[in-house]
Amino acid sequence: MRWPASLQARLGLSVGLVLTMLWLLAATVTAVIVRAEMDEVFDSALRETAERILPLAVTDIVGREDQGVTQRLAPIREHDEFFTYLIRDAEGRVLLQSHAADPTVFPSYDGPGFRQTATHRLYSDAALQDTIRITVAEPLAHRMSVAREIQMGLGLPLLIVLPVALIAIILAVRFSLDPLRRFRARLEARGARDLSQVPHEGLPTEIGPLADTLNSLLARLREAFEAERSFAANAAHELRTPLAGAIAQAQRLRSETKDRAAAQRATDIEETLKRLTRRTERMMQLARAEGGRLRMDKSSDLRGVARIVVDDIGRTGTPDRIRLNLPDMAVMSDLDPDAFAILCRNLVENALRHGGQTTPVDVTLTASGQFTVANDGPVVPSETLNRLTARFERASATADGSGLGLAIVAAITERIGSRLVLQSPRPDRTTGFQVSLRLPIEDSE
Amino acid sequence: MRILLIEDDTTLGAAVRDQIAADGQSVDWVTRLDAASDAMAATSYDLILLDLMLPDGRGIGFLKVLRTRGDVTPVIILTALDQVSDRIEGLNGGADDYLVKPFDLSELSARIGSVARRYSGNPNPILTHGPLDIDLAARSVHRDGRHVPLTAREWALFEAFLARPGQLLSKAQLEEKLYAFDAEVESNTIEVHVSRLRKKLGSAIIETERGMGYRLGRP
Repeated sequence: MRWPASLQARLGLSVGLVLTMLWLLAATVTAVIVRAEMDEVFDSALRETAERILPLAVTDIVGREDQGVTQRLAPIREHDEFFTYLIRDAEGRVLLQSHAADPTVFPSYDGPGFRQTATHRLYSDAALQDTIRITVAEPLAHRMSVAREIQMGLGLPLLIVLPVALIAIILAVRFSLDPLRRFRARLEARGARDLSQVPHEGLPTEIGPLADTLNSLLARLREAFEAERSFAANAAHELRTPLAGAIAQAQRLRSETKDRAAAQRATDIEETLKRLTRRTERMMQLARAEGGRLRMDKSSDLRGVARIVVDDIGRTGTPDRIRLNLPDMAVMSDLDPDAFAILCRNLVENALRHGGQTTPVDVTLTASGQFTVANDGPVVPSETLNRLTARFERASATADGSGLGLAIVAAITERIGSRLVLQSPRPDRTTGFQVSLRLPIEDSE
Repeated sequence: MRILLIEDDTTLGAAVRDQIAADGQSVDWVTRLDAASDAMAATSYDLILLDLMLPDGRGIGFLKVLRTRGDVTPVIILTALDQVSDRIEGLNGGADDYLVKPFDLSELSARIGSVARRYSGNPNPILTHGPLDIDLAARSVHRDGRHVPLTAREWALFEAFLARPGQLLSKAQLEEKLYAFDAEVESNTIEVHVSRLRKKLGSAIIETERGMGYRLGRP
């Protein structure tokens, strides 16, 4: 038999089983004791009967005219006879017998006292120097039926008491496990992003430490996430400032020198440093996308983030190419605004890069959280589209340039439980490429 | 313009200082917030370039204190914190603009110009003054359609007059706009630059109030 997984079922079953066994044991012991007591009482009645009948029988037999004749007593009234008796002389001749006595059940006399055959309990006694002998028989069936009645009396309550006891056990177990159930419900109700402490008042002492361990684990997890976040921020800072210094110095060198070759070298250095900056930036972004926390405890308006990102990109070279469409109402989301900014920036930069030099890029965020970036560039063949999707799934960190940008977007999309939809040409158009995904949005109500 | 640069990275700070100086502005460069407070107590600045992570505190806190005190000096944040949330915090803290490191020095110059123009009340970089067409963003002056080359110092002086049209500026005020704390100021420098400006842009461009100072001439 498989032991049930539920603690409640286990407790119910084990306690129920033990209870049944104990009850059965108690009933059996009681039955045995009662049986012994009962035998004593029955034996005493048997002996009493013999001793009472014998003097009467002696008087009767001695006073007879015809000696050695068997006399059967007629029943006074019709009734069941539990006791039958036989009175015999020393030669074994029957002198007197009760009306229902069957001489075949009486074994030959072998002295006073109790005897037992397969079917009867017997008591024998003798009088007048052992010349008149009485044997009283009682059928064992009678005793057995009485014993059975007592056993039934002891056993029958089991049928009622046991189910009641089982129900009581289940209710008690359920009641005792109620705090645990509430604790579990609280755990189930919270999202994966919620790492706050789980309240566990009222938990049984056996399970309390478990909740404590869970809470301390959650706290450590939260700390680890925070550490990772601050590492990404610090690493960005630690790398950016010296890079900024070197780039600025190269730019100063270029504007201060009159030497063309030196100016070209300064430009080369600057370009390399900028490439290095972009590369490390992407690595940090990927680290954030894959490791950091993407859902926050508080929510923010995504429109502001989209505006800043588009402003930012517009500043560095391609103003007016981005058409930003935002709803009038705030789009509140608990998505990390920085993660959304990374996602948005990568998609827009890709759309700008691959969309041709002059065609506009549409960035749309709807009130329901649908985020779409589309350009009017050349149609991407469907097999290329499939390959792009496949690469997204791999999210290879070794990919360079745009590949990493898409991998970052894919990583974020996957971790917020959304799906990246690539379409080319754009819906309802003959050209262009569109990337869309659904962002987690809070109900505005 | 007199600019306070608060940046603890010496390589970047030096390049930024040189760039601003090359634009003809005077710049005081400090690497700590307490030094910045001292500098601001000593003189008034037209603009502050503020790094966010400094050895003795966070720039954002400094900015908030500044704004709480009612100081309206324009502030451009120079930050290595590239996250949008940091920038939102900076802008909400009272910054006028921000630049994420690394940035182009030419972009920094443009941002300084644009923020300064917004503060002077006219964000349009194109001005006309009599026969002069002035492009504040491109730092160019055309007189009757012909380009007039100005040195950085001459431009800085001219810009100081343009920023306060009609207002009398003392020689000491002009010197403060042109020179940082440590720069040597020759006693007749302002006179020399004013006379060069008049030669290039027409004698009526700057009027002299004897013993008081100078002001921008009527167009």
